[in-house]
Amino acid sequence: MKNKQQQGKRIWAFAAGHIPLHSTGTEPAFTSHDKVAILNTGDKDAQVALVVFYADGDPVGDYTVTVKRKRIRKIRFNDLIDPLPIPLDTPFGFLIVSDVDIIVQFSRLNTGASALSSFCVTAFPNSQ
Amino acid sequence: MSSAATIKAATEWSNWSGSLKFTPWNFGKPGNEDALRQVIRNCYTEGRQVRLAAAGHSSTPLVETRGTLLHLHHFKGIIRRDDEQQTVTFGAGMTVHEANAALQEIGLALFNTGDVDVQTLAGAIATGTHGTGMKLRNLSSMLRGVRMVDYQGNVREFSSPADERWMNAMRVSLGALGIFTELTVRVVPLFKLTRTEHFTTVDSCLENFDALAGENRNVDFYWYPRSDEIKIRILNEPGQGTTEFPYSFRCVKHEEGWVGEILPRHRELRFDEMEYALPREAGIACFKEVRNRIKARHRKAVAWRVLYRTIAGDANYLSPHYGRDSVSISLHHNAGLPFDAFFNDIEPIFIHHSGRPHWAKKHNLKARQLRPLYPAWEAFQDVRRSLDPEGFFMNHYLKVLIGEYEE
Repeated sequence: MKNKQQQGKRIWAFAAGHIPLHSTGTEPAFTSHDKVAILNTGDKDAQVALVVFYADGDPVGDYTVTVKRKRIRKIRFNDLIDPLPIPLDTPFGFLIVSDVDIIVQFSRLNTGASALSSFCVTAFPNSQ
Repeated sequence: MSSAATIKAATEWSNWSGSLKFTPWNFGKPGNEDALRQVIRNCYTEGRQVRLAAAGHSSTPLVETRGTLLHLHHFKGIIRRDDEQQTVTFGAGMTVHEANAALQEIGLALFNTGDVDVQTLAGAIATGTHGTGMKLRNLSSMLRGVRMVDYQGNVREFSSPADERWMNAMRVSLGALGIFTELTVRVVPLFKLTRTEHFTTVDSCLENFDALAGENRNVDFYWYPRSDEIKIRILNEPGQGTTEFPYSFRCVKHEEGWVGEILPRHRELRFDEMEYALPREAGIACFKEVRNRIKARHRKAVAWRVLYRTIAGDANYLSPHYGRDSVSISLHHNAGLPFDAFFNDIEPIFIHHSGRPHWAKKHNLKARQLRPLYPAWEAFQDVRRSLDPEGFFMNHYLKVLIGEYEE
């Protein structure tokens, strides 16, 4: 029986990744970035694998992270280097697969222009 | 074990990062010193070059050959221990990790290691590999004696201080003098280290770095080009070093253990690297230029951190730290990705600040540019000509690097 404490889905996807190249303001607080926040509400650590897709070129992955039980973890796509860095100013999408249910929220900060701007959106949860 | 039994059919050899690949005529895996002497005699007679593969962690073609590529897998272990001289003699095939593990079992240690310890002791010493520490010299400086086989298969021995002129060449020799079979190194009583790691801003790091490097045993920092953050790594013997840090420092790691377990880091992700050693007084200004250039031109593709370390000066002829206290700045890029545009754009900044390249990492300098950087260049060449007058150990890369002619 499904643990009622374990909220969310195991598979998440987002298609409109694009890390802005330019930043203004003090870094790292105002570094332009794409980011996911992962919430694990359950009693078991989540083993999460992330695969990145591009407009041209093969997918790259797995990027693997652990999100501890009853914790959140934020992952800036700018910082990922294993197995490869994600190029800035390049469209990408990603698929997240977890071994337990999780909640994923995607956000972007773009400080390339002098006026601060950002948006936040929840990724698309697969029905599994 | 005979040499003939240990020579295998040639297949492609690759270095650790995969950026260097070549196929030698064959591989030599001698089981002992007599077998090694026979391999070298045979190669010399047949006009076939010999190079030593070591651990393959270098990303320059120091070991590349169309002749025989030697592996000293059978040259392991502690051979002698001299408590009075505070030295231990190792088989030259030992890795730095294996050496520290063996020393730990008898209550001894190496004084320092690099950021990783997968290199062979011989390879790390031969290329001037170093850790960090304002008062600590590179790993080559701990070499007190060498037993080697020369180009004619003769065994030669040198030791410090009796043969200091020879030893000053032996300590950073790029494998150009002969095949080392035994290395006698200075050791210290086993000790523990405490590692703390702090994140902070660039400004705060640069403002405090010299003071921290002076107060603590091992200090270095990583700069992350995609976030402009700094991670400072500080190691001390327990109870020593700085206890009060600037308010902007955020501690993210604190651990303690034996030196061989705490000092080197474990790296699965492979990379290519360029590193230059600079006069200590030029370090911060050079780093600032490197940082600005990366932020302006290379952020799109480059995410790996830049590493800044300190090294005490020494008197070894081809040491990048010869005659001057130094800092090193290292660039990294994921193995398999094109690194030329990145490394080649930053390299002139290093050169402008009187930098000397790490012999085992990517660079573009040749003998014509290197000779003026090394005041004892000719002293090394004198020793090399004495020990290898026919250039038997000089592969094409070494001829371009330290040879008498330009490509």
